[in-house]
Amino acid sequence: MAQNSAPDLTPVINTRAGDKSASTPKISEDDEFEVTSPTNLTFRQSNSGAVPPRHCFVRRRGSWPPLPGRSAEQGFPTNYALGRRTSVSAESLNPTEAGSDSWSPPHHPKTEEQVSRLKSAVSSNFLFSHLDDDQSLTVLNALVEKPIPAKDIKVISQGDAGDYFYIVEKGNFDVYIHPSGAVQPGPDGLGNKVASIGPGGSFGELALMYNAPRAATVISTEPKSTLWALDRITFRRILMDSAFQRRRMYEAFLEEVPLLSSLKPYERSKIADALDTIKYTANSTIIHEGDPGDAFYLLESGEAEATKNGVSGAVKNYRRGDYFGELALLDDKPRQASITTKTDVKVARLGRDGFKRLLGPVEGMMRGAEYELDSNRSPVSKAA
Amino acid sequence: MRHSGRCPSPLNPDLPFQLSFPHPTQPQWPQSLSNLLSMPSLGGLLKKRRTKDSQDLGKPDSQNHDGSGASMQPASHASPQHSGTGTHENAASIDNIIHQEQPKQERVTKGKYSQEDFELQRTLGTGSFGRVHLVQSNHNHRFYAMKVLKKAQVVKMKQIEHTNDERRMLNRVRHPFLVTLWGTWQDSRNLYMVMDFVEGGELFSLLRKSQRFPNPVAKFYAAEVTLALEYLHAHQIIYRDLKPENLLLDRHGHLKITDFGFAKDVPDITWTLCGTPDYLAPEVVSSKGYNKSVDWWSLGILIFEMLCGFTPFWDSGSPVKIYENILRGKVKYPPYLHADAVDLLSQLITSDLTKRLGNLHGGPSDVKNHAWFAEVTWDRLARKDIDAPYIPPIRGGQGDASQYDKYPEETEHYGQEGEDPYGHLFPDF
Repeated sequence: MAQNSAPDLTPVINTRAGDKSASTPKISEDDEFEVTSPTNLTFRQSNSGAVPPRHCFVRRRGSWPPLPGRSAEQGFPTNYALGRRTSVSAESLNPTEAGSDSWSPPHHPKTEEQVSRLKSAVSSNFLFSHLDDDQSLTVLNALVEKPIPAKDIKVISQGDAGDYFYIVEKGNFDVYIHPSGAVQPGPDGLGNKVASIGPGGSFGELALMYNAPRAATVISTEPKSTLWALDRITFRRILMDSAFQRRRMYEAFLEEVPLLSSLKPYERSKIADALDTIKYTANSTIIHEGDPGDAFYLLESGEAEATKNGVSGAVKNYRRGDYFGELALLDDKPRQASITTKTDVKVARLGRDGFKRLLGPVEGMMRGAEYELDSNRSPVSKAA
Repeated sequence: MRHSGRCPSPLNPDLPFQLSFPHPTQPQWPQSLSNLLSMPSLGGLLKKRRTKDSQDLGKPDSQNHDGSGASMQPASHASPQHSGTGTHENAASIDNIIHQEQPKQERVTKGKYSQEDFELQRTLGTGSFGRVHLVQSNHNHRFYAMKVLKKAQVVKMKQIEHTNDERRMLNRVRHPFLVTLWGTWQDSRNLYMVMDFVEGGELFSLLRKSQRFPNPVAKFYAAEVTLALEYLHAHQIIYRDLKPENLLLDRHGHLKITDFGFAKDVPDITWTLCGTPDYLAPEVVSSKGYNKSVDWWSLGILIFEMLCGFTPFWDSGSPVKIYENILRGKVKYPPYLHADAVDLLSQLITSDLTKRLGNLHGGPSDVKNHAWFAEVTWDRLARKDIDAPYIPPIRGGQGDASQYDKYPEETEHYGQEGEDPYGHLFPDF
């Protein structure tokens, strides 16, 4: 324990008095007043009498008693790495501004069959599983074919900087790990073979996150193999640009909502951060008339319509950029109409509770501004 | 600029504290001084003594105009360039030193220091781009930490922007729980940043030795970090690399956050994946774009690690497994955790940004007002007016680096001249 290693030296008398009000002369340094005291660390506890004790919510001794620590019964993970952890970082990227000419993702044509095979190859990979369809397609299209013309070619070498992720199209590859963390010279320099990867398999995904040393060596085992490759910057750009475009879209949509017009930009930004994208197929009902309102929706893509019981036909049609259900942000009055999708639809949803947690009481959010109920724009949520 | 009111430029020799480094013959205070700690008159007493001993007729008030506690920084907050070598013509004039006003402009540190200003001592830590040395100023003989970054390595790792940001952000901040940058320079190979030598070592070392911290101890450190994050976020700075390795203990046992390698001015949203695997928030892992609330997530991980001795999403397999765990978001809270701690952690370590404390309407106050922090007197803590739970066993002011692990020393000679292909990439150094 730490305290056992502490010599019985008190390096410090804390001279900072409790009174630090503006009238007190400020002391920019305090080491002039520090002493190396031969006493133990408890002297401050003798500080009693007329002087109120300094506030302290922990023990004042140099340290604390040992705690039961690293046992499995205490839930401590086996093999936990106790060393210092290295920071990791990708390249700094900034979104491509809309309208700027600069960047568009590479597009390497593939057959439908290839795309679907690639899709299933990455379906369980955490870097791909949360992508939406558009992002996913763009990413798959960006994969470039990389022929491996011979046996015993090191596709990646343990310890090297990693920039590419690979999916095996054809052939087999062996995976070696050397305990030293890098390939060594000599016949056994690759280390131990730990796995083999065949068609549909993939490796090197960490390189899509940041530049980390390769954790293994991967080597071709057949005279002719084929890989698909994707580099980190392309991958991250695609994700970032699509997320950025979506976010700009959200912010633009949100600006159009009268109820939210009094929000400050950073508040709108917070809402944009917290919107959930939800997809509906055609002819689904997003909102049921009469249900208590609990969420607000922005229509990202597709078309939907509002219908009311007792009224024939649609009372309102919605397209990209339209919104509905915003009065649910104020209270849970019953929905005044149903919203049904006419096509496949993507909406961004924000629940009332989350809205209030982010922005506080609705009254404050309204900032006294009268919210004109625009029944023409939003018949569904109009409170009676 | 924002801080100029209370940020003495370490480069300007017109600083009251430049003559106030401890004199070798300075008398030791009797132990009974501790009884004076809360006496109202103490401030006056100390001022008098100090003035006498140090000839410091300067402006003790000048550094703390906003009362934020910035003046209570450890003694190493003196300029390493006591006599202002070479750059300030009036440097030697004590009259000037004493009588001139505090500089009101933003600190400008460019080009002020050089290797000749410091005596190189042992290595305190190593990183991907270089290392941190203990150094001693040839001017005031105080100790500082000098971070050396190899330019070629920074460029190779594509961290030019982060490195320039590190310098810019450090230059902007002034807070009792943040390390102070005193100056920078570069030679043909390296970038150099001179900062406080924070003597107590890494919280990491203390935590590993302790295995885990008692609830109140973790609370103390967490509370100081919370104040530092509140300050950074109020200045639109996102930190992005919270972990015990980056938290240092000063001689009194208070924290200082160091390593601003990923700190950045982020008013709303940013995109670059960076941090430390165990501490990454899910929105960082999934490349969604993220905001300052990732620091609150990381605070949750930090508190968890202090209380348990391990991080919640760790996996022995590979970083990929850690990231899968982070995205899954399931945290197993050991039974020994206090219910309040679990409640706070579950509201920090949540992927739902409408639930993550610190990101909500109340901002950092939501964290500070949480039941787990109930006994924390925040204003006193901000003044370091609360005793730290552990006082590092060091001798203050003597370059005692015993709390730092040892590292193999580098043989490279700093200050080399020669071709400098990357110098133009780091204009602020």
